[in-house]
This record gives sequence, structure tokens and C-alpha cells, in this order.
Amino acid sequence: MLEPIKNNWRILLLVVVVLGATVALFAPQFGPQTAPGEDAAEAQQGITNLQYGLDLAGGTRVRAPLLGYTATEVDFDGDTPDDVARAVADELDGVSARDIGAVPEETAVEVTDPSVSESEFRAAMDASGYAYDDVRSGVTQETRDVAQSVIEGKINEAGLSGGSVQQVQSLTGEYFILVEVPGEDRSDVIDLLEERGTVQIDIAYPTENGTAIQEEVLIQDHFEDIGTAAQSDQGTGAYVPVTVRNTAPEGEQSPAHGFQQAVADRGFASAYNTNQDRCDYSENPDDVSKPCLLLTVDGEVVNSFGMDPDLADSMASGSWATDGGFRLTTTEFSEAQTISINLRAGALPADLDISGQGTSRSISAAQGENYKNYSLVTGILAVFAVAGMVFLRYREPAVALPMIVTALAEVYALLGFAALLSYPLELAVIAGFIAVVGTGVDDLVIIADEVMSEGEVNSKKVFDSRFRRAFWVIGAAAATTIIAMSPLMVLSLGDLSGFAIFTILGVLIGVLITRPAYGDILRRLLTVR
Amino acid sequence: MVAIEVPEVNYTEYSNRQLVAVPLAVLVLALAIIGGWYLVTGAPANLGLEFTGGVELRIADDGGDVEQQIETAFDREPDAVRSIPADDVYVVTFRAADEDPEGLANDLSAQADAAGLSTSAIDQVSPSFAADTARTAIFGVALAFLGMSVLVFALFRTFVPSIAVVASAFSDLVIPVAVMNLLGIQMTLGTIAALLMIIGYSVDSDILLNNSVLRRTGEFYESVSRAMRTGVTMTLTSMAAMIVMAIVAALFGVDLLRNIGIILSVGLCADLMNTYLLNVSLLRWYKFEGVKR
Repeated sequence: MLEPIKNNWRILLLVVVVLGATVALFAPQFGPQTAPGEDAAEAQQGITNLQYGLDLAGGTRVRAPLLGYTATEVDFDGDTPDDVARAVADELDGVSARDIGAVPEETAVEVTDPSVSESEFRAAMDASGYAYDDVRSGVTQETRDVAQSVIEGKINEAGLSGGSVQQVQSLTGEYFILVEVPGEDRSDVIDLLEERGTVQIDIAYPTENGTAIQEEVLIQDHFEDIGTAAQSDQGTGAYVPVTVRNTAPEGEQSPAHGFQQAVADRGFASAYNTNQDRCDYSENPDDVSKPCLLLTVDGEVVNSFGMDPDLADSMASGSWATDGGFRLTTTEFSEAQTISINLRAGALPADLDISGQGTSRSISAAQGENYKNYSLVTGILAVFAVAGMVFLRYREPAVALPMIVTALAEVYALLGFAALLSYPLELAVIAGFIAVVGTGVDDLVIIADEVMSEGEVNSKKVFDSRFRRAFWVIGAAAATTIIAMSPLMVLSLGDLSGFAIFTILGVLIGVLITRPAYGDILRRLLTVR
Repeated sequence: MVAIEVPEVNYTEYSNRQLVAVPLAVLVLALAIIGGWYLVTGAPANLGLEFTGGVELRIADDGGDVEQQIETAFDREPDAVRSIPADDVYVVTFRAADEDPEGLANDLSAQADAAGLSTSAIDQVSPSFAADTARTAIFGVALAFLGMSVLVFALFRTFVPSIAVVASAFSDLVIPVAVMNLLGIQMTLGTIAALLMIIGYSVDSDILLNNSVLRRTGEFYESVSRAMRTGVTMTLTSMAAMIVMAIVAALFGVDLLRNIGIILSVGLCADLMNTYLLNVSLLRWYKFEGVKR
């Protein structure tokens, strides 16, 4: 009973791998991960579980560094990060402490205001008196991590499924943020990324010389809870319900109290007495008659509003801060949505330099579909070419046919792996598949020639010794291919790591599974019993 | 039906010097072309977008005189406009501007939109990133070659046969680069992948030959012709796949696959010559004269 299994285990292993690949390709359990709000059927592209990357499905990839300079090995001298940041900011014109990051864990101080040049930053560091080792371009690890999670948040908030964000390092040590969003075109993705998304609330109030503005009464950090955008229940317009944080470190005023104080100081309660009282900032921004709240996104006023009399009164009496809730109103629903995204996802801690040092690639869905079909046709024709050559050379179906079938099984197993790993197929991966068919058949030719040389194969023993000899060459050749491809796997050369990964995987599957199986098949067909 | 028969070469008619002369002459010529290229253009090959920086747009050809529109649409002269009939697409390439690389892709894509051209893909590569990619690519190829050499020496543990494999692999890499220059093919990431693939492919037949001669019993010429029967079949099969891939991908305008196809075809051709002229003569010298010393 066990004897046939023992004798044919190599073929059985190949069958098992092919079955496994079938399961990975078609069983719904191995389907692609679904994005929030997407069901399994939507996530699946085509009848298989295969995922298609940018080249074959369309989409946009952007790779760009975060702008800034970082001073390394900074001696903080026992000062708190805030003190250090303030001290450095004071030495730079027009730069607030928010654009300076001091990270004690990395002993680094960074500037993220793009208008500051390297020499200006050096001068500021020198003037601030903190010792440092050197200034490099780029930002700190902490800032990169924050940027990564902010971009992830933005992508999720905007409902773009399948997007990914990673940090990659170039050979020269520079860090880049790599963003891939399938199915979206370039301008949409770049708009989403380039919006620094700084949302803040200012107060405009009347003075003798026209409108004055108190800035940053509320900023992103001050919010404890941000609701989703909702349609206003009365009339047009939309709003985002928010709650302002009422906690603060020892000895500091909480943001809610600060906001309440500012509103009371600017006289909202006396200006707004009935529901008819309106803010007139939009009509005459330079000369307002009443104090107004201004909602600004990236420095631009997107909406101005007055205040409900009850709310203004509760702020004046000081009871509002304990609850801290109010509504940011807008005229358009989409505007409310943007504000909600920007508030929740937060602002990017530094600018992404997409147009300067960035690299982007964008492919329309239709183009991706074309590429998919073309590469399929190319692959099939390449396999036919190989099959034709093999038939011409051996003129014996018993040798040639299993060769073609084995080579195809190898590609099929690789596709199974791709589905299992949810590795998105790209053009480069397809090229890897074709390369695998090429090397695969090469090795099968070695096996066939070796086994059939020197006359009849008349026993298992003769076959085995010849097969082993052939295998030494195959193993050596496989090892060189793997060595040659491995640098590509780790170096950041874009698509090519996919090519390398699948070529190496293909060679491994070939050497360990399919090529030994071909040997067994050939033995059964050739051994004289 | 036509059958492929690998011809038997009668090596005894030629001296080692004669055999080595051809591949060495080709190698020297290839190196001269690359060197000349470097002196004239400042780069050893025609560098593609990925290594120079710039913007490439694919513009859909929806009938009409798209080519004329492309000429007038942009405020910069395109460096290249290529038509891909099978895909109804024009590929328009702009090199990175030295003076002002900022926002090039945005401007160009806006200009294309304004002219009513529909863009199906945009690639933008910044010059600094491109320079970095070039360095990484050279490093990668060098590392792969070094790794291969070390492995070959470890496998055969004798100097002459090992250096024969390494030398022919080197020549297999250099010749396609020279041919690329002559054919006007640009060096891209795809061609780098193809060059690394050549290292993998070409070493196969060299290892087969060395193995047959050194590790197996039998007379030298018999071993060579046995290895040759297998090796030539292998190389021709791979070449068939690559030529078909190059032709089909060129028709469809899938540049990456086309470039890989062309480079590998040329590289495998070079490998036939290097393995069965250079490598064989080095092995023969080693077997008949080198061992005695």
C-alpha cells in the first residue's frame, strides 16, 4: 500500500502543490482583505483571488521625501523638548514653535517649515546654544511615523480602499514616504496628500481700526471628539459636531477654558442676543460689526459664523467648558466632510515634496486593463514558443509534453503563492513568471538529456544515478540565479523587487518540487520494466 | 517536420588562440563602444527616464490628429514622442529641466488636459531620485556579479575553469549593453533586471559545460559535445521565449517586457559565443596544458 506512494512521492508532492495553488487561487477563504465598507465580492478582482497592482489595475503611486532639516546628536542640556523647540524657533524669523520638533529619544531637533534653508537652520541652532553634531536634510523618525499614520488616516477617511503607505529608505540613507492608491488618478491623490490640512478657528472682532483677528483660538490638538459631517436638520448647510478638550497639564488652562475665555473677552454674549443677529464677516471682512468665529483650513477662511445666543451666554457665564460641545457649521456638505477629515486625520507634520524630489506613477484603469490582457497574451505566446522549441528538439511527445506541463505547473504554483501572499501582480512580476518558464524548461532539458544519454535506461538505479548528476548542475544553476537576484529583492528599485521575489520563488519551487517530479514522470515513461 | 539538431563542432581544427580571438575581439569592441559612449555622452548607455529624471505621459490616440496636437499642446518641446499603434497610444517623454524641475508633471498634465488630450498614465521621476536609482542599480548589478563569482569559485574550486565562467558571464553582460547603445534602447530598470537575469541564465550553460568536462569521465571533446547538445538546446529555448516576448510586448507597447526580452535575447546570443568559444578554449588549455604545470 505504501510502496506506490513512496515510489512516486515527488509526483504526488507536485499534485499536492498544484491542488494547494488551486485552493489559494479560487477558495473564497483566501480572498483579498476587504476594506471597511466593502464586501468580499467587491474586493475580488476577476474570478481568481489574485490581486493586481498599479500597472495592471490602474492607480497612483507617489514617492516623496518629507521636507525639513534635522540636527543630530543634540545636547538637550536637561531642558524639556518644548523649551528647546521654543529657543530654536525664537532664532528663526516667522517660524512658530509648532514647526520645530525636538525629539529627546533621537537626540534630534528638526525644522519642518519649508521656507527655512539649511544654513538658516544651522545658524539658528548655533545661536540657540545647544550643541549638535550635524544637520542633515529630512525629518526625524518620529515625524515620519506620524506622517505615515496621518496619510493612512487621510486615505481611510476619504474612503479609498486598498491604499497603502510605507516608509522606504534609499541607498544614500534618505527616507521617502511611498503611497499607493489603486484606482485613483494622480491629481486626486496628490490633492489629498498635499493638503497639509491645518484646521484652526480664529476670532475676528471689531476695533476702531477695522477688523482684528485673534489667531489659533482652537487648533486640531484641542479637540477631544470630532463627529462625522452631518446635514443640518433645519434648512440648508451642514455641520461637524465637535467637543473641545477640558483637560490640561498641571498649571495650564484647558483648551475649553481658553476658548471660553477668548469668546467671553471678545464680547460674543453682548453681540448676539437674538437668532436674528448674524456675523457679517462674509460681507465686509475688513470691518465687522460683531465678533465672528472663523473656520480656516490651510490658512484660508472657509466659513465664518456668529454664535447662538444661548451658547454665547453659557460661555460668558463660564459653564460651557465642562461640556465643551458645539457645532462647526458650513454651507456645503462636502466642505463639512473635508473639515471632518482634516480634523480627524490631523495635519501632516511636514510637507511632502512631491513636485521637487518626488516620483509618481499613475495609470488609468483602462490602461491597466490593457496591460493585463497584453501581458497575458505575451506570456501565453512565450510559453508556446518554448513548447515549439522543445517539440522540435525532441520530436517525442513522451519527453516534450510532460516538460511543458511541468513548466506550466510551476507558473500555476507561483500564481497560487501570489494569491496566498496577496502579493499584487505587476508587469515586473509577469516578467518574472516568463523568466521562470525559461529557466524551468532549461533545467528540464538538462534532466531529459542527461537521463537519456548513454543508451537505454534499464533500471531504477541507472536512472537515479543519472538524475542525481543532472541535479548537481541544476542546483548550481539555481543557486547562481538566486544569488544574482537577491540584491534586487532588498534594494529599493521600485517594481523590480517583485520581479526578483517571483524569480527566486519560481526557482525554489522548481528545484524543490517540479523538477524532481519531472524526473519521476520521465522515469516511469522511460524505464524498461 | 524540421528538427533542431545541434551541430557537432570540430574543435580540433582550431587552436586555442583562434577560438579565443573571436569572443575577445567582440568583447573589446563592446567595451570600446561603451567607453566611447561614455566619452561622448557622459554616460555609458542611453539612460532612460528612471535614471535621468523627467516626465512621461501616455496620451490616448482617439483618432484625429493627436500627433499634431501633442506638438502644440505643451510649452516645452517633448524630448521624444513615440506612437504605439496596437495600444492606440502616444508616449511623450520630457527630460527633467535643469533650471526648474518643480511641478513639471502638474503643468504638463494640465496642459494636456487643456488641449483636450486624454492622458492614460503619467510617470514623474525627480532628477535627484533618478541619480540615486542609478547608483543603486549599479551597486545591485555589481553585488550580483560578485555573489555569482564567489559561488562559482566555491563550486569548482579550481582557478581556470572558474575564471572561464566569470569571464564569459562578464562578456555576456557587456555585449548587450553595447548592443543597446547601438540600437538606441534606453537603460531602464527593466533592462537592469534583464542584465541580472543574464547572470543567472548564462551561468547555466557554463556550469553545465564545466561539469561535463571536469566532473565526468570521458574524453574531452566527447564531454564538450555532450554538454553542447544540452546547452545549445537550453539557450535556444530561452531565446525563443524571449524573442517572442520582445516582439509581442513591442507591438503592445509594454516597454518593460519588451526591454527585458531584447536584452535577454542579445545576452543569450552572446552567451552561445562565449560559452562555446571562450569557455571551451580556456577549459581545453586547462585540461591539456594547465593541469600539467
